[in-house]
Amino acid sequence: MLALLAVCLLFALFGLLLSYASRRFKVEGDPLVDKIDAMLPQTQCGQCGYPGCRPYAVALARGEADINQCPPGGEDGVKNLAELLGVESKPLDTARGTEKPKAVAVIDEAACIGCTLCLQTCPVDAILGASKFMHTVIAAECTGCELCLAPCPVDCIRMAPVRETAATWRWPEPGAVRP
Amino acid sequence: MKVEVGYAKPEVQVILPVEVPAGATAEIAIRASGLLSRFLEIDLAAVKIGIFGKPCALDQVLRPGDRVEIYRPLIADPKEARRSRALKK
Repeated sequence: MLALLAVCLLFALFGLLLSYASRRFKVEGDPLVDKIDAMLPQTQCGQCGYPGCRPYAVALARGEADINQCPPGGEDGVKNLAELLGVESKPLDTARGTEKPKAVAVIDEAACIGCTLCLQTCPVDAILGASKFMHTVIAAECTGCELCLAPCPVDCIRMAPVRETAATWRWPEPGAVRP
Repeated sequence: MKVEVGYAKPEVQVILPVEVPAGATAEIAIRASGLLSRFLEIDLAAVKIGIFGKPCALDQVLRPGDRVEIYRPLIADPKEARRSRALKK
């Protein structure tokens, strides 16, 4: 009788513990998507064929996309993704673009006509301006995605390489293999 | 609520996070940001402002996450630019 009671008590205890744990350590969303998304360069340039970095991460997690579709991430990015997903690394798909040094868009103020086309294209709201007012790129928020170049009717946007200064320098991504 | 106030020139661009009470107007946010003391050329009575590229009035009530922007005039005349482009072709 005592043994039966003890077992019942244990069951109840473990049941409570499990239900507590399932609530306390609840996982929001897919942690793999977050991990992949953190590895992507967040340029939101769409060169991978998806509307942004997160949609590409979702497709990768589902196994729908290939790991070599992100030109801004470069060869190092492909290697990191291969390692994370446990698949064979492969060369970057250069049909989607090539790896370039980091650059930001710069608007030629003498030519800008305030048409807002670049504002509407910018995926990260990095251009400040309004219709018939000067448009200015906020350099700190520009990801260098180049999406604003094509819509400009007066071709007044160019890409300026970012010089490495104490303020812009960052540690290379961990695990990246540098030549 | 959290909003941002932004002003951009080619050489320097600032986006300042500002905490304002609910129901605050664009003018309150701009004054609270300290932008006016940093850029003395901004005359609040004369400049055009907006939120995320859409022009608005100084008494526009803000919503959380809004970016109040202070605009600068164009240098080129859009109509003149169009005429000279048409001539080139």
